[in-house]
Amino acid sequence: MALVEARAIEKRFSGVVAVKDVDLLVAEGELLGLFGPNGAGKTTMFNIIAGAVRPTAGAVRFRGVDITAVPAFRRARMGIGRTFQVVRPFRGLTVMENLMAAVPSAAARDGRPADLAALLRGVGLEKRANDPAAALTLGMLKRLEVARALALSPQLLLLDEPLAGLSDRECADMLQFVATVRRSITIVMVEHNVHLALPICDRAVVMDAGSIIAEGTPGEIRKNPAVIRAYLGEDAA
Amino acid sequence: MSRAGSTAALAAVTVALGAVAAALPWLGVSSYVRTLVYYACYYMALGQAWNLISGMTGYVSFAHGALAGIGAYATVIALNAQWPVAAGLAAGAAAAGLASLVIGATSLRLRGAAFTFATLFFQELVLLIVRKLPAAGGPGGLVLQEIYPTSLPYVLMVVLAAVATIAVAALRFSRTGVRVLAIKHDETAAVAIGIDSTRLKVAIFCASAAIAGLVGSIHAIFVGSLFPDVVFAVEISLIALAVPLIGGVGTAMGPVVGALLYVGMREVFQVVAPGLHLTIVGLLILAVVLFMRDGIVGAAARAWATRRRTAVPAEGG
Ligand SMILES: Nc1ncnc2c1ncn2[C@@H]1O[C@H](COP(=O)(O)OP(=O)(O)OP(=O)(O)O)[C@@H](O)[C@H]1O
Ligand SMILES: [Mg+2]
Repeated sequence: MALVEARAIEKRFSGVVAVKDVDLLVAEGELLGLFGPNGAGKTTMFNIIAGAVRPTAGAVRFRGVDITAVPAFRRARMGIGRTFQVVRPFRGLTVMENLMAAVPSAAARDGRPADLAALLRGVGLEKRANDPAAALTLGMLKRLEVARALALSPQLLLLDEPLAGLSDRECADMLQFVATVRRSITIVMVEHNVHLALPICDRAVVMDAGSIIAEGTPGEIRKNPAVIRAYLGEDAA
Repeated sequence: MSRAGSTAALAAVTVALGAVAAALPWLGVSSYVRTLVYYACYYMALGQAWNLISGMTGYVSFAHGALAGIGAYATVIALNAQWPVAAGLAAGAAAAGLASLVIGATSLRLRGAAFTFATLFFQELVLLIVRKLPAAGGPGGLVLQEIYPTSLPYVLMVVLAAVATIAVAALRFSRTGVRVLAIKHDETAAVAIGIDSTRLKVAIFCASAAIAGLVGSIHAIFVGSLFPDVVFAVEISLIALAVPLIGGVGTAMGPVVGALLYVGMREVFQVVAPGLHLTIVGLLILAVVLFMRDGIVGAAARAWATRRRTAVPAEGG
């Protein structure tokens, strides 16, 4: 059974078809890369899986349960964590409070204490724990957002362009961190930087203009003519 | 000092000051001073109630005066029906809490300004209904039949202001408080980490309304008679909002500073420029918003932090 099973998904925004007839399966434990040019519908697919947007057609299952009508906060509690393409930290709260806000209730954790300090060390923000999020750089905010999503103890982590706007050094750190996290959590990662992101993926899906145009291993994706035309070609140019 | 430590220290100071204030009637202090302390506590408690919903979630209420008015009416009706004082106060809190559910369950499902418009509408609607309601005495109002010693509402109001302040301070640094503030900062992100924002907003608004209701209940015992145009005057809702805005929104100390300042200024300006005190409050808010952004408490906390060359505190207690 797939962890996520999205079938025949369609999303229209008053006239604009953002996603049409997409089937997306995410296997438990994999790191799936989701690629495609601007406006391909990647973020819309994330919003549909996380519940921020309702599809106009199709159904989403999580661990075999139909969650198409389940509100976003409940999906988060079921184990779907996400980051946002444009960061959305709680700017007036401290770094530690940003994580505190995401920790499930004691009852939902079965009394297991949440190790937020370890999470902060993992993203290299341990020295900034008591600073307001508003004082952080973009690179730090991106890492804070990943840590906040992880504070939920999710089974699925959706990362929307975790490398966008980061320096080379920060990109390397982020990829390193994602590589550590993937050992315990299923990840779907949207990324513009295919050259950096593709190598760490188990599998990749490429979308263009609302549809899936290719699917396969990183090796297959690199050689796929449709992908080269729609995406890698313009990237290489 | 740790957060739990500073909350405990604030609680201790509040209890000590509250005890002194509550004891004033027996310490031979003039009734003028006692009345000032009473009104400071009245605005502090009402400001703290507003702070709980609007300061913590960012959803601005213009109905806190009306909620206090509902509490006042419920208590006078209950006391005139020979209910004991405690039951009469509980009736006031419950009536305001129930009224908040009517506004909250509908408008707090939506984001943005729907709630604010609903509270404005509610403020006007309640006045219309109370003027027509025979049980509420119509436009002529209601009179509390039994006379209580003024020390009773006095002590109750001091205690309520202290308890509300400690409650807001304790909430601010709890997990629930952080989740409420998360809604204010980014509701989309809050929902994405499992926060049921609608339920949390409705619950906080209900608690806030119950406090506002109690303020009205106690004040009804203090004044002894209720006239709808006075009890439901829109000014009360505006002052409930002005007090935390001046002192600092979303902090426990904000409404305390704001209420002391407001009551002090009102005393001065009633002599210097009678009838102008609301205008002056408006100018004061403008000055605070323009020059201090997060109120007097926030500005003081930042000045203090700069002096100590430490980082800026996020939302000070
Ligand atoms: N809320 C919305 N209202 C209207 N149109 C929208 C909305 N969200 C997305 N769209 C449109 O849907 C299409 C897909 O957008 P989406 O954000 O999913 O693309 P994307 O693949 O994430 O692109 P990018 O790489 O630029 O982030 C675009 O044409 C976009 O303009
Ligand atoms: Mg996108």
